[in-house]
Amino acid sequence: MADLGTTSIIVALALTLYAGVTSFAGARQRNDVLVLSGQRATYASALALGIGVLALVVSFLQNDFSIRYVAEHSNLAMPRVYTWVAFYAGNAGSLLFVAFALAAVTSIAMARTPHGLGAQRPYANAVLMTILTFFVAVMLFMANPFVTLPTVPLDGQGINPLLTHPGMFIHPPMIMTGLIIIAIPFALGMGALLSGKIDDDWVDAGRVWGIVAWAMLGTGLLLGAWWAYTILGWGGYWAWDPVENAAFMPWLGLTAFIHSIMVQKRRGMFRMWNIVLINTSFALGAFGIFINRGGPVPSVHSFGASTLGWVFLLFLGVTVAVSFGLFFYRFARLRSRSRLESVLSREAAFLVNNLLLLAVAFVTLWGVVFPLISELVTGETITVGAPFYNKVNGPLLLALVFLMGVGPLLPWRHATSATIRRALAIPAALTGAVFVALLVLGVHNMIALVSFTVSSLVAASVLQEWVRGTIARRRVSGAAYPVAFAQLMATNRPRYGGYVAHLGIVMLAFGIIGSQFYNLERDIILSPGQQASIGDYEVEFIGSQSLPLADRTERTATLRVTRDGEFVRTIQAWQGFYPSFSMLSTRAAIYSTPKEDLYVMFSEVQPDGESAVFRLLVNPLVWWMWMAGPFVILGTVIALWPARQRASASVTTPVRGSPLPTGVG
Amino acid sequence: MKRVRTPVALVVIVFALALGTAQVRAQQTVFLELPPNLEAVAIRLDKQIMCPVCPSETLNQSQATLAKQMRAIIRERLAAGQSPEQVSGYFVSVYGESVLAEPPASGVGLAVWLVPPAGLAVGIAALALALKSMRRPQATARASAPGQPKATTDPDLERYLDEVDREFGSNPGPSRHPEGVRE
Repeated sequence: MADLGTTSIIVALALTLYAGVTSFAGARQRNDVLVLSGQRATYASALALGIGVLALVVSFLQNDFSIRYVAEHSNLAMPRVYTWVAFYAGNAGSLLFVAFALAAVTSIAMARTPHGLGAQRPYANAVLMTILTFFVAVMLFMANPFVTLPTVPLDGQGINPLLTHPGMFIHPPMIMTGLIIIAIPFALGMGALLSGKIDDDWVDAGRVWGIVAWAMLGTGLLLGAWWAYTILGWGGYWAWDPVENAAFMPWLGLTAFIHSIMVQKRRGMFRMWNIVLINTSFALGAFGIFINRGGPVPSVHSFGASTLGWVFLLFLGVTVAVSFGLFFYRFARLRSRSRLESVLSREAAFLVNNLLLLAVAFVTLWGVVFPLISELVTGETITVGAPFYNKVNGPLLLALVFLMGVGPLLPWRHATSATIRRALAIPAALTGAVFVALLVLGVHNMIALVSFTVSSLVAASVLQEWVRGTIARRRVSGAAYPVAFAQLMATNRPRYGGYVAHLGIVMLAFGIIGSQFYNLERDIILSPGQQASIGDYEVEFIGSQSLPLADRTERTATLRVTRDGEFVRTIQAWQGFYPSFSMLSTRAAIYSTPKEDLYVMFSEVQPDGESAVFRLLVNPLVWWMWMAGPFVILGTVIALWPARQRASASVTTPVRGSPLPTGVG
Repeated sequence: MKRVRTPVALVVIVFALALGTAQVRAQQTVFLELPPNLEAVAIRLDKQIMCPVCPSETLNQSQATLAKQMRAIIRERLAAGQSPEQVSGYFVSVYGESVLAEPPASGVGLAVWLVPPAGLAVGIAALALALKSMRRPQATARASAPGQPKATTDPDLERYLDEVDREFGSNPGPSRHPEGVRE
């Protein structure tokens, strides 16, 4: 197995090198044979890496501890189903995952990219293969998952207990794949620049893959927050940890990109800016890999750390130099065809959106690198923790939410004050009502009040659009309201999918505001039979049972929850102590309602063996945060759902001017 | 024999006492309960102080033994009447300023707080410049496009026209654009 694995990586390296070179040469020389050969080599590299993946998975399933990676990340006691997680638990395995994902996604993307892109497609393929060559080379020469041990241990070390959680089946693959998919629009943009034919052809494919990357990365981030919430035991979900930030920054760049790409699609504007945005997003992704595996900044995610930092820093440097170098080289050709007509327009609103998103990314980046800078410059390390990010990013994010409510109401090109007044009147009135209602309900914290109000402005404006649109549609088609609404969605999927995604973001905002400003927390020691109160709840500790297993000792605490004297539910909190990791892993007992979460974490058992430390929390509105995920995904699906092809679209292709190589691909 | 026994016994007693008090002491450093208003202050402090041996976790988040001991120290000191500033000052004197989660607004830490607003100001200025350079005078726009329909103020009509645009192909609007057709 080890030999098969290493061989497959060597073969993959050869194939990616070949594919990169032939795609580039084929694009330059307009040679269809070379281009086709390059594309086929790309598919073959995906196959080779797939074999490598299978080899590693089989090694895990066979408990082949002669392979060091298998010995380090599994043991005989590990349930087989966690093989999938163990596969990418460490540096070498996750590199293999990333390489395979990139090869597979590249194959799919290039196969599906329309032929009308001419030379751009093989150039894009060449760029992607260059990136893939880098990853495979790093894997082969520095982090080979198939390295064998001189003596075969009887048992492995076991998987990190923090990873034995359902969220770990999806969170890392989503994050890694989402980050990898950023390479597709990046390569398409680079392909356009390299081919010299700079217009808007790459935008359709770029938009689709950009949205896919955005949705996957966003889902991965939300899943990571959910994982942290249920397993790390401190009752929170986001700590502005450097590795969290490393995935968050590219996501912000992608959010800016998918918005401003709409302007290029519709009006041919922002051509230069969109290249800058996708280059920046990809660079932030490369920076993220550097942070995640270089270890210059310590993090809770340190299980992925390695000594490969400088390699990824080099990759980041080369990426930035080449991508922006190419951008400046082609700068003159990137001029937009249209002009901005008014500052009060959707185009301008998108620019403000971009400014705010990049500002948040900048602040986050600054917070991540500042400790390194301060250490280099003064020798003293200044910690930049959550309070900084909350204070600085908070207002920026709130401004973004406000824009999310107002922006879609602005028409393209030019808005008169009458249009704005008509568009904003009802949402503003509804929002004012919400503001008053919140005051009456007892929300007095200024920040929370303003944040809730702004979020409801978004909901109100979306609702207005839906209602008005449905009424207008009904006037035209005469259908019943629900049917008219469905028709409305169907005729403009990007827009209405976007609205659904915006509503998801509003739900996320509600959850964050509620849990940040109105949470209750206490730590207490309880003996069996004792109870503690928090918020409206009384929590009684019934007792605990312990279960010694091969690699851990598990304890389950049973608790009885009553609210205002009425019995609500019996909940169970779990902990497992892993001697080989010296780690106590916990699963909090969470009783979740749309209004609030009751969160109980079962921690240190006291020397008497019976009583234990419990952390009790009441987190309002957290339920809405997790519900936001499916909503955003639904919105993405609606936005990407292909509309019927119009005959007119293909008519414009031959008229495009410069001669196209025929039969490409 | 007798001469050896007494010192050995003494050692044993001292050892037992030390162990015994260490046990009690260990229990004491693990947990201390405060009245609710002080507990809220303690929790806030937990979130503002980093665990020195953990990778980027605050005392509130960390399960490490040192973190628990520090949380206990916070509660002991608050119960003894110290102010939050005095408690965090104590930790700074022991571990240095890096133990604070939020950079102090003085010295090197000041740079952390100044750069974001400066960056935002630069961004706003850049945006303003970009908007200015991207605009063309309104008069020229209307003059050079006589066939262009006037900007409509009826949102329903605008919405209908948007749909018409979309029905005629999703390419960046050539039909309504005055300047240069794509072909």
